[in-house]
Amino acid sequence: MPYTILIVDDEPALRQMLGEILTQAGYRVRAAGSCTGAMESFMKQIPDAVLLDVMLPDGDGFELFGRLRQKQELPVIFLSARDEDEARLRGLGLGADDYITKPFLPQELLLRLQAVLRRVYRGAKESVSRLGDTEILWDQGMVRRAGQEIPLTAKEFALLRTLWENRGRILTIDVLCAALWPGPLIGYENTLMVHIRRLRSKIEAEPSHPRYLLTVRGLGYRLRREDEI
Amino acid sequence: MRIRSLAKGAVLVAVSAALVTLLTLLGLFGFVYSVSDGGRNWNAPLSEISASLTRQEKGYVFSGEDLLQGRWAMLLDEGGNLVWSFRKPEELPEKYTISDVASFSRWYLEDYPVQCWIREDGLLVVGSPRNSIWKHNLEMDMENMIAIPGWFLGFFLLSLGSVLGFACLAARRWFRQEQQIRDAARSGWINGVSHDIRTPLSVVMGYSAQLEAAPDLSPENHRRAGAIRAQSQTIRDLVNDLNLTMRLDCAMQPLRMEKFMPEVFLRQLAADFLNGGMSDGFEFEILLPETPLPVLQADPFLLRRALNNLLSNCVRHSLPGSSIRLGAENRGKELLFWVEGGPAQSAGSRPVSSCTLEADGGAAHGTGLKLVAQIAAAHGGSARFSFGSSSRCELWLPYRCKGKS
Repeated sequence: MPYTILIVDDEPALRQMLGEILTQAGYRVRAAGSCTGAMESFMKQIPDAVLLDVMLPDGDGFELFGRLRQKQELPVIFLSARDEDEARLRGLGLGADDYITKPFLPQELLLRLQAVLRRVYRGAKESVSRLGDTEILWDQGMVRRAGQEIPLTAKEFALLRTLWENRGRILTIDVLCAALWPGPLIGYENTLMVHIRRLRSKIEAEPSHPRYLLTVRGLGYRLRREDEI
Repeated sequence: MRIRSLAKGAVLVAVSAALVTLLTLLGLFGFVYSVSDGGRNWNAPLSEISASLTRQEKGYVFSGEDLLQGRWAMLLDEGGNLVWSFRKPEELPEKYTISDVASFSRWYLEDYPVQCWIREDGLLVVGSPRNSIWKHNLEMDMENMIAIPGWFLGFFLLSLGSVLGFACLAARRWFRQEQQIRDAARSGWINGVSHDIRTPLSVVMGYSAQLEAAPDLSPENHRRAGAIRAQSQTIRDLVNDLNLTMRLDCAMQPLRMEKFMPEVFLRQLAADFLNGGMSDGFEFEILLPETPLPVLQADPFLLRRALNNLLSNCVRHSLPGSSIRLGAENRGKELLFWVEGGPAQSAGSRPVSSCTLEADGGAAHGTGLKLVAQIAAAHGGSARFSFGSSSRCELWLPYRCKGKS
């Protein structure tokens, strides 16, 4: 079941373009050009996420955000032509999941939308994922490869979850350390390397020549997407 | 133009202050002179009163009652004895010693303000009702007396300086307000225009990127779509830079200082750069020292913007396939961020140049590098650029940036 995205923007051409991009990417799309239209559409069917413009003809996107969130705790990404720090900080401060400044590239929007959806609906729509020959059983905290079920430790699971939610993207050692060990980030790099090595031995056919979990020298690690192989 | 009008204002204020001071002083002296008549005659001159008192065979005859106007008078002989009086208060004695005379001639007689007039036959004393006249005996050393004009001039100059100082402060405030109003108008206009450009540009970028990715497009149209997408991104960067550069120019961009580790910051910046696909077709390398760098206090948003501009600049001007290197070094009290790229696309025709851009940028450079220089200056640092067959851009920042805006 594809995610349903509600686009709220007063510019018809932008709504049309966003609709096409999201539809092509496999989402179901609904659109509104005003706060009133957005509330009507929202009440008919609650979407999975909202792309919300800040300046609307009959109101303020920030205010609409509050009304939507009162009805349902759902992911909201602000799409705004206002690039001032204050506007961005206000949007994020209200609890929005992301704030994208116009103009943006479709790919950038899709990636950030995917990241938000993965973060919010983690496990809700996907209990088993595939990484080549390896199946990741999220509910059971293990991987299955060549018919063999291999349990993951808590750190390996958290590491794999973080990499999976950001697959295709480089994650710095600092981001990964923060995901595994909340608090000051000093001295965990070597421990992280050990966890990465162990995780590779569980998800890679040839851990010494990894196909999926790659090292990016000097920066961190990247879990390759299936379509990159 | 501004200096000339400032000078005109200062002269005007100085002349006004001088006039006000002179008029005040003249008025003061005039008033004192007119009410005191030189400090001697309260109502009528004593000489006239004395003249109206004549001695005849039978005694004294006084014809100056009108001149006294409610005052009293008495005449003492050489021995201090009362020989004549007119309306003299009863409580006053009729015999006075030399010390009594010496005292009341300067001050008061039983609280009655009195004036004295020496006559051939004695001393004429004219008194006024109690609490009607204020008397003060003024004595001054001659040296001090001579110094009075100097003191007067000194106080006058001090007053003038104070007035001028206040006037300058007021003028500066006024100019600053004027500047702020102009800056706000400029900012509002640029903000408005860039805001209006952003939405249509989103549509252009969105469709061109879609076309570029369409598999059924001819290579020629594919190239055209790519060019539209790339140029739209350039316009986007320009709009973004224009907004920020203007805000920094007008000191309207607040610095949100945070303390952070330069390595963590730089790794994330590099990861975002690579994740954004900006470096596709280039070799990218990040070089950090083995010894941990000290904690940096800066505005991470602005710093990210500056380094992103340097990286984008490097991509734009380097030959595809060449390498882009990003690094940081500890240089004593300063942290050096650097971005290297090359060889340049037009290395053969491009002259080798090296410069340190000031905050106001330079006409030869685009908004991107001007913005880098502005951000460095806002942190109390500097930006240095050298271009040739390869390019190197440096951002020098003090570890404890105080921030200028």
